[in-house]
Amino acid sequence: MEGIWNNLGIGFVEVFKLQAVTMAGITMTLPFNIIMCLIGVLLGTLIGVLPGIGPVATIAMLLPVTFSLSPVAALIMLAGIYYGAQYGGSTTAILVNLPGESSSVVTCLDGYQMARQGRAGPALATAALGSFFAGCVSTLIVAMFAPPLAEVALKFGPAEYFSLMVLGLVSAVVLAHGSLIKAIAMVILGLLLGLVGTDVNSGVLRFAFGISELADGIGFVTVAMGMFGICEIIGNLEQKEHREVFTSKVGRLMPSKEDFRRMIGPVLRGTALGSALGILPGGGALLASFGAYTLEKKISKYSHEFGKGAIEGVAAPESANNAGAQTSFIPLLTLGIPSNAVMALMIGAMMIQGIAPGPQVMTERPQLFWGMIASMWVGNLMLVVLNLPLIGMWIKLLTVPYRILFPSILIFMAVGVFSISNQPFDCFLMSLFGLLGYVCVKLGCEPAPLILGFILGPLMEENLRRAMLLSRGDPFVFVSPAKPISLGFLIASAILLVIIALPALRAKREEAFAAEDT
Amino acid sequence: MKRFLVFIALAIAAGAAAAQSWPSRPLRLVVPYAPGGPIDISARLLAAKLQQPLGQPVVVENHPGAGGNIGVDMIAKGPADGYNLVMSAIATLAINPSLYPSLPYDPLRDLRHVTLLVQVPNVLIVANDLPAKNVQELIALAKQRPGKLDFGSGSTGSTGHLAGEMFKMMTGTFMVHIPYKGSAPALADMMAGRIDLMFDNLASSLPSIKSGKVRALATTTLKRSAFLPELPTLDEAGLKGFNMSTWWGVSVAAKTPQAVVDRLSAEILKAMDAPDMKERLHGMGSEAPAIRTPEQFTAFVAAELKTYTELVKRSGAKAD
Repeated sequence: MEGIWNNLGIGFVEVFKLQAVTMAGITMTLPFNIIMCLIGVLLGTLIGVLPGIGPVATIAMLLPVTFSLSPVAALIMLAGIYYGAQYGGSTTAILVNLPGESSSVVTCLDGYQMARQGRAGPALATAALGSFFAGCVSTLIVAMFAPPLAEVALKFGPAEYFSLMVLGLVSAVVLAHGSLIKAIAMVILGLLLGLVGTDVNSGVLRFAFGISELADGIGFVTVAMGMFGICEIIGNLEQKEHREVFTSKVGRLMPSKEDFRRMIGPVLRGTALGSALGILPGGGALLASFGAYTLEKKISKYSHEFGKGAIEGVAAPESANNAGAQTSFIPLLTLGIPSNAVMALMIGAMMIQGIAPGPQVMTERPQLFWGMIASMWVGNLMLVVLNLPLIGMWIKLLTVPYRILFPSILIFMAVGVFSISNQPFDCFLMSLFGLLGYVCVKLGCEPAPLILGFILGPLMEENLRRAMLLSRGDPFVFVSPAKPISLGFLIASAILLVIIALPALRAKREEAFAAEDT
Repeated sequence: MKRFLVFIALAIAAGAAAAQSWPSRPLRLVVPYAPGGPIDISARLLAAKLQQPLGQPVVVENHPGAGGNIGVDMIAKGPADGYNLVMSAIATLAINPSLYPSLPYDPLRDLRHVTLLVQVPNVLIVANDLPAKNVQELIALAKQRPGKLDFGSGSTGSTGHLAGEMFKMMTGTFMVHIPYKGSAPALADMMAGRIDLMFDNLASSLPSIKSGKVRALATTTLKRSAFLPELPTLDEAGLKGFNMSTWWGVSVAAKTPQAVVDRLSAEILKAMDAPDMKERLHGMGSEAPAIRTPEQFTAFVAAELKTYTELVKRSGAKAD
């Protein structure tokens, strides 16, 4: 324990260190690392708010700039962009139903509903406070348990990932609050959409219809912005009277005492789940926000409010995705394995700075390792200080008349989607998904299960086939006692399936009885 | 070194005289992959470095898709005016032509190859619990357990995959190929002992080798790597002539004027030789390539294309 405090001490000294910096010929003594951290989180918040422009592209573009900085300052800034984007991503999700990152899809469900009820302020504040709490706790987890947790991450092979994804997929059904059959149909549609593109094993193109832009599959942002953002705009324009509904009710900025009471549990559970899933390099963090939402919906006594503006539905996923963002540094720092594209870029940045990422970083360059961890803590504090006053400004945005607001949103979305791979095709595809989303809404099918199916489908298939290749075609690898983790997930999925199915069946019967009565 | 400098000076002089007006507007450097990979990073480093001597900004544009083919095709079919450049690589120039049955461009006919920027050896690494301590022991083990060993790679048709196929062919062994999405997850599975071996880009596996999480047996180029000087090459270890590396560089459309190509090549070489750039590229695992002129690069591409066409055909790998 003492070691940890010593190490964190080294880290904080590094973060707040005064350095002589020469800029434009003038040498100044500045706490340079902390300034870079601030720039990083500011930039991160900004790109998080802008749809489509994600941390990967931003970090890639900034890499050449960081080479003139010291390794510590460069990595502190890049890390700041990453978790700053997690904060910013929730803003558009809540205000205009526009998820910019996979982690903020779930926040749309209840956050946007809260905004419609004039509770955008409390929703944004909940997201910021939940993220802050989760960021603090998970940073401490990284500092204290990084090496042993990395060993846990290695226990996850293809079989374990596949079973985890099965559990995720079963819980996708819980995301919807309407019909069970429709939710399952949407999950399957999502899985099918996820199959488009090049097959990992054989390299064969599937469902691309000779369109070369589809060779790498459909982009997540394209689907999410179409199904949520565009679809919502069409829906709003359709209703003549209620179109400007936001303007009348802006409401309070901060959550009430009741809100705080209700968010404590979800934040704690979201942080725990997010920290755990974030450690897994093979897409675990993706599941964090979905998992946290599902968990809350199942155990909360306000579960009937989910999807209609429950504060738990914002607090849990937002805490989970931020916790996951921090703990996903564990495989990078301890094994040198990147858990996502952003982490791969961080490795690139380290190597070009002449640092080989891996366990030796901790002993050979304690200033860098602990400085980075301390900076995450400071960065999270900066983010919450920055974001709380911003809420007032964001809410003002809602008072902008809708006839001005919606074209601006559309333009931002189109620019964002185009910027991902510089293809006009993606903009058309986004519009198509907007139409599909509209049709689905009219049919009473919700987009969230589709999105989760779309994210999980390719991962599931990849891990299933890899597990089968490694076992030379033996399907029992998933349930063999030699793989208790995989077996555990499958049992949990089965139990969850029963829990989901039972009330639905009962409801069906009640419906039938109710119909008889009338 | 002196001769190089004289050569560069001459090349610049010749180029300047012939293409006086070029460049009069910003240049576009297309990266046919999503932002963030090593090719993208080196493109951004190069773009920043070229701006000053060319007197024009060099804008990096990412046009990902179809294994890099979309971006390369765009330049191959685009205007041959010297303002449109592409980061070409072993995949798009040497492997994809035989991997994809309907590649829209011909890497030799539709493109001119300007400069080879980075060349990184691959390295043969094995899981720590694998009993084989050197290449000969690995071959013996693979012969003793045919079809039991797994080799991972970053994707089907990647250099890592094809190096594995080459290894199988040259040693007459049979191992099962396990494709991943990128070499990082394959490396993780190897640390956990789920796969036995892989041929990986030296840059991405160096940290794991240095920290002892995986064991390196040999490098795949004819010359030993300066990063792991004690490690033998496969050629030394008995696989005579085994020579595979990962490389990338800059290409332009085929009809680009000679003078522009020469000037571009000279400026890129000068940028690469600058100490800070050299250090960055070194950080990516590259040792200054011996191939320098456009002619050498083109000859190299032709030779690699021949090697990999043969290899892809014999390995049976394909993509649509």
